[in-house]
Amino acid sequence: MAKKVQFAHTWVPYVFIAPQLLIIGVFFFWPALQALYLSFMLEDPWGLSSTFVWFENYQTLFTSADYLSTTLFTLGYSFAVVVLSLGIALILAVKANAVLHGQKTYRLLLTWVYAVAPAVAGITAYFLFNRHIGVFYDAIVSTGWLFAPETSTFDATVLLILVSVWKQIPVNFVFFLAGLQSIPVTVREAAQMDCESPTRRFWTITFPLLAPTAFFLMVINITYAFFDTFGLIDTLTQGRPAGSTSTMVYKVYQDGFLGADLGLSSAQSVVLMILVMALVMVQFRFVERRIHY
Amino acid sequence: MFKKTLAAAALSTLSLQGFAATEIEWWHAMGGALGETVNAMAEEFNASQNDYQITPVFKGSYEETMTAGISAFRAGEAPHIIQIFDAGAATIINARGAAVAVQDVMSDAGYNFDINDYISGVRYFYADENGKMVGMPFNSSTPVLYYNKEALAAAGVQPPATWEEFEDVAQALKDAGYIALSQSHTPWIFFENFHSRHNLQLADADNGFSGLPEKVMYDNDALAAHLTAVKEWKDNGYYGYYGRAWGDNQAAFEQGEVAMWLGSSGSFGGLKQSTDFDFGTTYLPYWESVYEDAGSTFIGGAALFTMAGHSDEEYEAVAAFFDYLTLPETQYFWHRETGYVPITNAAYELAKDDGYYDLNPDAEVGIKQLSLPGAEWTKGYRMGFYVQTREVIYNEMDRLMAGDTTVKKALRTIEKEGNANLKRFARTVQ
Amino acid sequence: MQRATFFDHLILWAGVIFLVAPIWLLLASSTHSVDTLIKEGLQWLPGSEGLSAYKTALMTASGFTDTATGLRMLVNSTIMGLGFAVGKIIIAMTAAYTLVYFRVPMAQFLFWLIFSTLLLPLEVRIVPSYEVVSQLGLLNSYTGLILPLIASATATFYFRQFYKTIPEELLEAAQLDNANAWLFFKDILIPLSRTMMAAMFIIMFVVGWNQYLWPLMMTTEESYYTIVMGIKNILSVVREGRVPEYNVAFALVILAMLPPVLIVIIFQRWFIQGLVESEK
Repeated sequence: MAKKVQFAHTWVPYVFIAPQLLIIGVFFFWPALQALYLSFMLEDPWGLSSTFVWFENYQTLFTSADYLSTTLFTLGYSFAVVVLSLGIALILAVKANAVLHGQKTYRLLLTWVYAVAPAVAGITAYFLFNRHIGVFYDAIVSTGWLFAPETSTFDATVLLILVSVWKQIPVNFVFFLAGLQSIPVTVREAAQMDCESPTRRFWTITFPLLAPTAFFLMVINITYAFFDTFGLIDTLTQGRPAGSTSTMVYKVYQDGFLGADLGLSSAQSVVLMILVMALVMVQFRFVERRIHY
Repeated sequence: MFKKTLAAAALSTLSLQGFAATEIEWWHAMGGALGETVNAMAEEFNASQNDYQITPVFKGSYEETMTAGISAFRAGEAPHIIQIFDAGAATIINARGAAVAVQDVMSDAGYNFDINDYISGVRYFYADENGKMVGMPFNSSTPVLYYNKEALAAAGVQPPATWEEFEDVAQALKDAGYIALSQSHTPWIFFENFHSRHNLQLADADNGFSGLPEKVMYDNDALAAHLTAVKEWKDNGYYGYYGRAWGDNQAAFEQGEVAMWLGSSGSFGGLKQSTDFDFGTTYLPYWESVYEDAGSTFIGGAALFTMAGHSDEEYEAVAAFFDYLTLPETQYFWHRETGYVPITNAAYELAKDDGYYDLNPDAEVGIKQLSLPGAEWTKGYRMGFYVQTREVIYNEMDRLMAGDTTVKKALRTIEKEGNANLKRFARTVQ
Repeated sequence: MQRATFFDHLILWAGVIFLVAPIWLLLASSTHSVDTLIKEGLQWLPGSEGLSAYKTALMTASGFTDTATGLRMLVNSTIMGLGFAVGKIIIAMTAAYTLVYFRVPMAQFLFWLIFSTLLLPLEVRIVPSYEVVSQLGLLNSYTGLILPLIASATATFYFRQFYKTIPEELLEAAQLDNANAWLFFKDILIPLSRTMMAAMFIIMFVVGWNQYLWPLMMTTEESYYTIVMGIKNILSVVREGRVPEYNVAFALVILAMLPPVLIVIIFQRWFIQGLVESEK
């Protein structure tokens, strides 16, 4: 919704918006349309010959067992990352909100990890859980768990989720803390009088007030688990073992990019595009609604 | 100090411009120590003459290098020379117009090119259906068995020549506290070279050499029996499976956890640095019951391809560099530093005359294995979208070792997906 | 209001340790010798080697042309982070200005056009993007590194939301004063947006610095390598079964995260605001 009072001008607004339009035109729409176009083509890797094949690439994709399992993994992995990182961050935020002195220190210590690149987080974990020098590996093995992310899907998934959650806690923490602090003092005081059990107070008063933040964060976290974890997967598991820890984005890269099958990978890009579109619609509706109340 | 460096850089740029040397770029996948050797050779070439300057650029793994080359070619920014690995050979050789045959590059620039100068094992692997060499088999290796001498002595056994023997050796090693074997490249060692060693066909159209193949032949009894045995070995504690990464399996050998390791003859140089025990090298074991006259294996590694779309002067530079690379001295240096086999007969002779193998008999195992008598199916293979098929093989091996699939099912999946890849590829190049 | 109990602090400290310990381990280990690390594994306490590994990581060149030193890669990453953040803020502020303050035909269409860029991250359109960049002759240039990454409208939305919270009276006053559109932008909107700009800058700098796949794809000249790309080199060493110089590798990893982490720590207030504001 635009402002009620606006400038009415002929060319000025176009000058202001031109850089943005130019950049997204050249570097977004052009490549994106090319991806759409390629998804209907069967092309040799070098671009020397190509045939129009209608929806064959999509058909290949949807009949492949691998693609189904990758989709399922992506959903399961995203779910685990979202629930765990939101849950842990919420607990930490509630506790930090109760701290009067030193809250800033906690906030600082709990947020800086935000700045660590996913690829850097991935290689850090690689070293920590390395069979030869990793102290965390030694710790796990000493419990009798024969930890082997190279060969065990379960172990690799656990490792991947752990690192993804680690990387995502700070963002969620910041939002929850801000959300908690925006609850008016009067509400909190009233709650304290009405409701003696802190647990009940949390669930009946605080949590409903945090729900919009939580819902919003959920969308952010799903986006994170889908896309931003690319560098993490590439440095940590590369989809191994047996391609069972590939997310959909990682598979686009692996199939199309490393396998040099552009048509198939473009089709995957388009499928992802549609998925994200759905996701963003939800987010957008929600964000707009929040603005208006 | 920073200023000085700048000044020096400016000076060297100036001096280069003064000579107006033809500059060419070489994208490769040789990291670490291998990369340093590549750099040393490029520097020596640049210093040896004033007309040409080559710049090697490390582009990551074999897959990443090929992809980078493909993207660059599509964008008209291809490097002059690109290193493409065995599995990608079909991708570049079958695409008419992507590469210029090394044979043509050399003869056009006035060099004498004779394919028979190259040792028999590498001669035709990167050649087209008419026997014309398209890619220069730069870093050629072959799978060999490395064994920890101390471990084998402790168990009182000799390295096995056949898989039948291996089963006895493995128990003794287990009793001595070792896992007998690990292996670093399932598709290459247990699939492709398994077929070469046992002289078994692995794809139609003469393994893809006489046309575009449409059928992978991996679902056969010999391979099924082998994989069944491997799985049993793993369950018995004879075989250590550390996932699909090359390094994880090699490391287990280096750390003395595993007594024998199947790797590349090109790993020799690295192993010498990273192990603190005495190790020996021998041929890739075979099943006597399958084929008694086990012969030559395929080469692995990669070849250098000249990309289309550059000027004649630049191709001259490429030819000059290839000429330098195939000099016996250069090849001998490369062979000594890395363990990759010398690719020309002259270089092999030089290494022999120099007494290199008298001091390092192990370094000769790879080239000797490649020189074993070949048979109908040992020349090579050429399959489209084979990078993806290898991916399927890796994945099925992961599943098989984890007990998530059976040998029968795994082989069926590999054939099904492999065939689909072949058919898809055949349509893209027609 | 209830006070935090000992138990609350315990949980908070558990969280802090969970987040800090991995990086601390790497930091402490980077001050040990390679031998110690290979024989005894990662170390919790600092070692005797001091910062020598950092010196090696910063000064030793990997590659052929001797230009890809850690220092050079840090400089490149800084250029990338700065260029990305500044570029993005400028185009976002101006575009959002048009969207919020002007009555233009097809405003809704333009809005959706810009908005749709959130749909397809660079990772999934990377091959066509590469082709576009190379057709424009931008491979191996800072422009080529930065521009395609800017082609997403995240910041535009943040500024759009922010402008909407600015009281309308300001614009009414400006119109009464006959101030033109440019002056309103320069004299009123920019000063009002200062905090927002600082906050956005921090977020965007971190995002730009942390790019991984794109720089890997499009730089072939070693003089353009970024520090996060250096990570890939370490990995290629270990994946091929060679033992890396662990301490130098760790130093490089620490160096790769240090600048963005420092910025987030030093400008904590703006950072928090940037994150939270951006999503309102």
